[in-house]
Formats: sequence, C-alpha cells, structure tokens
Amino acid sequence: MNNTRVWQKLRPYALVLPAMIGILLFVVYPILYLVKLSMFKYNLLNKDKSKFIGADNYTEIFSRGDFYNALLTTVLYTVGVVVITMALSLFIALWLNQNTRFNALVQAGIFTPHIISIVSIALVWMWLMEPNYGLLNFALKAVGLPALPWLQSSSTSLLSIIIVSVWQNVGYYSLLIVAALKNIPQTIYEAAALDNASKFKVFYKITLPMISPQLFFILVIMTIGSFKVFDTVKIMTGGGPNGSTTTLVYYIYEFRTTSIGYASATGVVLMAIITVLTFIYFRLLSNKVHYQ
Amino acid sequence: MNKKLSAIVLAATTVISGVLAGCSGTQSESSAPTPSTTQPSASTPAGKTTVQFWHSLGGKNGEYISAMIKRFNDTHDNIEVVGTFQGSYDETVTKLQQSIAAKTAPDITMLERAYVQMFAEAEVLEDLTPFMAKTNTSKDDFPEGLMGHSVFNDKIVSLPLNRSTPIMHINKTMLDEKGLAIPTTWEELKKVSEALVVKENGEVKRYGLSMPYDTWYPIAMISQAGGKFFNDDATSIGFEKGEGVKAFQYLKDLQSTGALYYPPAQDSGNIVNQMFTSEKIGIMFQSTGVMGSVKSNAKFDYVTAFLPKDVAFATPTGGANIAMLTDSTNKDAAWEFINWVNTDPQGGQQFILDSGYLPFTKKMVESEPIKELWAKDPNRKVAYDQLQYAVDTNKDVAWPQIMQEFFKAIQAIMYDNKPIEPALDTFKKEAERLLSE
Repeated sequence: MNNTRVWQKLRPYALVLPAMIGILLFVVYPILYLVKLSMFKYNLLNKDKSKFIGADNYTEIFSRGDFYNALLTTVLYTVGVVVITMALSLFIALWLNQNTRFNALVQAGIFTPHIISIVSIALVWMWLMEPNYGLLNFALKAVGLPALPWLQSSSTSLLSIIIVSVWQNVGYYSLLIVAALKNIPQTIYEAAALDNASKFKVFYKITLPMISPQLFFILVIMTIGSFKVFDTVKIMTGGGPNGSTTTLVYYIYEFRTTSIGYASATGVVLMAIITVLTFIYFRLLSNKVHYQ
Repeated sequence: MNKKLSAIVLAATTVISGVLAGCSGTQSESSAPTPSTTQPSASTPAGKTTVQFWHSLGGKNGEYISAMIKRFNDTHDNIEVVGTFQGSYDETVTKLQQSIAAKTAPDITMLERAYVQMFAEAEVLEDLTPFMAKTNTSKDDFPEGLMGHSVFNDKIVSLPLNRSTPIMHINKTMLDEKGLAIPTTWEELKKVSEALVVKENGEVKRYGLSMPYDTWYPIAMISQAGGKFFNDDATSIGFEKGEGVKAFQYLKDLQSTGALYYPPAQDSGNIVNQMFTSEKIGIMFQSTGVMGSVKSNAKFDYVTAFLPKDVAFATPTGGANIAMLTDSTNKDAAWEFINWVNTDPQGGQQFILDSGYLPFTKKMVESEPIKELWAKDPNRKVAYDQLQYAVDTNKDVAWPQIMQEFFKAIQAIMYDNKPIEPALDTFKKEAERLLSE
C-alpha cells in the first residue's frame, strides 16, 4: 500500500527521466562545457597545453572590429528575412485563403522549396546568380536593366542570401497563416459585414488580431532561426566577399580549428543575444497577442 | 547488460538529437570520427598488426592511393594497412583534433603541410628520426624544397607524400595565334595577358590571366618580389618594404584592364580550370595537381612553365605530408609502411606516376619510370624542376589563424577595391598580434 503511494509520487519523474537524461547530457552539459571552453586558450590536440585566461576571450571579442561587423550583418540579415518573409507570406496567405482548385495548386507549389534540401537550393541559386551566364542577369538584361554582381560584390551579397532564404521559407509560413485564417469563425466576419465595415477595417480589426498568436510564433521562431543562419552562407559565399556575409555563426565556425576557446566565447555571446531577444519579444509583444 | 544500457542510451540519443535538430540546424559539420575499433583485429590471423591510415584523397587520386595501400597489404603478411578517406585537408584536421582528444586517432595520417607546425607544437606527432636511423634513411633522401615543413624543434615530424607547387599553365595555341612568347617575367606576363584580352561591346569575352582565390599565389608573388611572408624572427610580416603592395598593385592593374580575371571565392579552382580548358583565359596560375585533368580536357597545345619572376624566381609548395601520431601503438608497423612508400618502386613511386603529384624522393627522380614519364610529358618535369626555387616563408604555429586574416586582406583588395596599403596594414597588425601569442 505504501509502496503504491511512493510509486505514484515517483511515476511522473520516472517517466520524464529518459528525456531529462537526454537533455542534461546533450543540452545542459554541452552548454556548461561551452562556457568552460570560452575561458581557455584551448589546445584541442593537447589538453595539457591549454591555458586558463579568464575573460580574455570576451575582452577580445568586444575589441575586435570583425565581431561587430558580423553582428551587424546578422542583424541586417535577420531584419531583412523576417520583415520580407512575414509581409510576403501574409499577403500570399490572404490570397490563398479562398478555396479554389487553382489555389491548392499554388499552395503546393510555393510549399515545395521548403521540402528541398537547403544545400540543393543554395547550389541552384548560385547558378541562377552567376553574373556572366546566370539566368537572373539574363532576365535583367532582357528587360533593359543593368546586370547585378549578386554574390560577388559586397554590396549585393547579403541581399542575395536574403532572397534565397525568403524564397525557401515563404511557402511554409504562408501555410501556417492559411491554417490560422481558416480557424477564424465566419460568424465574426458576418457580423462585420452587417455593420458595413470596410475591407481594411475587417482585416485590421478582425483578421490580424485573430491570427496574432501564429504571427507572434512565426516572428520568434524566424528571428531565432535567422540569427543562426549558416548553411546558405557556407555554401554560397563562404562569408565573403570581404566579410559582407559573415554572420555570427559563420564567424564562430571560422575559428573552429584554430582557436576553439575564442569560438566558444563567441558562441556564449550569441546565446546571450538570442536569449535577450526572445525575452524582449515576450515582454513587449505578448500583451498585444490575442489568445482565444 | 552493458549492451542493453548502450541500446537505451542510443535510443535516447536518437530521440533527443531529433528534437535538437528541430531547433538548431547548424550542426551539419559535427560528424563523429570513425572510431578505429579494428585495432588488433580478431578476424585477421594472429600476429597481424592493423595500421590505421587517414587520408584526404577522393576521386581518381583516392583510387590511386587505395591501390597503393592494397599493393602494400598484398606483399606484407604481418601488417594490414586500413586507409580511410576523411574528406578535404581541413576536414581531416578537424577530425584529427576530435579523435586525438578522444584517443581514437589513427596511427598515421596525411596532413596538409601548413598544419604540420600546429600539430607538432601540440606534441602529438612522433619524431621519426630514430625510425629513419633504423632503416638507414635520412633527410637527404628527400628534395630539400619539399622538406620545408618536416622539421620542428630538430625533430622530423612529417615526410613529404602528395606534394605540389603552383605553376603557370599556358594555352600555347592561343599565344601562338598572337605571336607571343611564353612570359618569364612579370613585365612580359603583363604584356602577354593584356594582348590576349578580347572585348565585345565593352564586355570582356576573353581574359589573359587567372588564378584561384587562394593565399598561395599572393605569397608566391611576394617572394618573387623579394619579400618573405614572415620575417626571420617570426614576429611580423616580411614584406614591409613594399613587396606586398607591389604584388597586389600588379594584380589590380591587370584586373582593371581585363587582363586578369579574379574568380569568386567559392569553388574558384574549378571555375578557373573550366575557363582555361574552354579557352576563356589564356594563362592560369594553378597547382601542378590539375595537370592531368587539364591535359585530358584541353583541345589545344597545353604547356606549363615556371611562375614568372620579378626580382627572382620563387614558388611556395603545397599538398600534404605523412605523419605518425604519438599515441599510436603500432609504430614499428606504421613506419614499415611509410618506409615502403618512400623506397619501394611499387609504393609512392607508382602513386606519383598514377596521380601526377611531385616525385618526393631523390631516388624516385632518378628512377627509369619517372624519366620515361618526363620524356613523354615534359610538363611534369617542369613542375619538378621548379622545386629548385621552392621557398616556404609562411611557416609558423600561428599560420592557420593568420591565413584567415590574410584571406580577409585579399578579399578586401581583390573584390572590394579597398586601398592596398591600409588593407595590408590591418593585416600586419592582426598578424603581429597572433604571432606574439
């Protein structure tokens, strides 16, 4: 009898234990280890040659121009991707909300990029953006516009990467928003119609607040995701030209073989930035989100 | 019991990593090293030693090195060498770093020459001197130009294996059409590459010269201009008397007229190779390692020549060395393999004949098969002859880090038209900081 009560108390813990072990082992422990590494001038090959240097790595980060450059690039990239993707996918979702056969087709079409590997996408876009023989410049020239250097000039490279990310993401987020739109009860719209509300007002006062939880979710997820962008940069530009697409994660990656301590310190800083960002979002925006 | 536990852990790992993958997505590079669990293998007859050998040769060259390993295994009953392809030079280095820490490192490895110092400084490379003494081999058996990265603190920590140098590849048909001679100096190279340019409606349709995006070629030019990459005390750069500015100014001048095509950073090697074989450039600086594929793709008279000189002929070297790791438990067997590669005609020599890398012992150079090959294909002899001017001045423990900074300077100058002097000054400052650490 006593035994059963003890078991009942213990059972939830026993059930989450496997997951917790996993999290401790593969999330918490690596993070602590990362923090530890960040305080060393660490020699990967020979531990005995590592030196404890306290906060020196952090001092170095904040005194180096290229770190701020990487941070700025990341912020620009994130703002670009989030704003453009949000606007586009909202627009597309509103358009796709009508149930026609054609729309189903379009929906499948714009969702397709999301299921293709980002590596393939990046490689295909590299061909499209090739300045001399690429399709994009061919199209630009055909309509009489000047050709762009795309990935090969520091003034256009970041924009090019943003375009690729937006293109890949927009279908997925449209789908999320369409699902949200379909969940809005028709009765509210009927009531608005009876009141003779203008289309804009209906959108602004009904549609937008009703899908705000999903929009908020997308905003948070996409910001974090964009802050950690790596694959497109690695494949398409290698951080260049001249550091113009070196985002924070790529910056960390660059130091992986030679100064793992410095790379870890930058990783900790990145983690801190994302934590703060998420926190701010929740503080500022969560009151404006309408949960049913 | 143990098995069951590991099964649970494995299952948990799979679940968790699946969850993690959803929110990270940046871990693509962290492939675990292949653990060398086969060490004293049970399946092989007793007394047989297994030697793990990691290398970075894929494609055709990968087949050639596998064939070499097979030739060794077929003739040695007591040793089994297991060759494993570990990806590019850089990936191999990353995997070595992980595996050395995890004590699962191979016995011998191929190591890109610029990383040798870094590994030697961490004391993970075995000193080969005693082994060499036992088998009566010495440093003098190898061409001096290839030994630049072999000695560290009076220890021989690596020996040359698949080595290359940059060299000038020329479309002789194109030069002949214009009545141009093969350039031997910077001055001549400038005239020739400008004469090769073809423009249509203000767009360049054919360039004179190109080279991959790499530190190799600027370093070559700096030493041709009389500079050194690092000064002799390894406290700062060794091209402060304007050699660096001169080299980059030369490239920028050529670039501005269309005489030089400087390729985008990503995949630059393949891009210039393709442009060369499709006759969009007449001359390219490229590794000797591409001679084979260029020769089979080129539909024109293809020749090679020394990199042109400014005040002197000079070339850095490249490719990889072979090294033994301190943690190896099969050092004698490992050395037997290395020694066989160096001395047996069926070893490294055959591999060199197959692949097109430079012969790396003096005996190989004098051997009949190599002489025959050179008579048939003089381009390959040019590559070896250029070694007399080989000089590696970018040797330092900090080089892999400094290389990153140098790449940044190259990008700023070549892609963003940043003024040369300030860019090199910034680089100098960073280099000095890293050298002083």
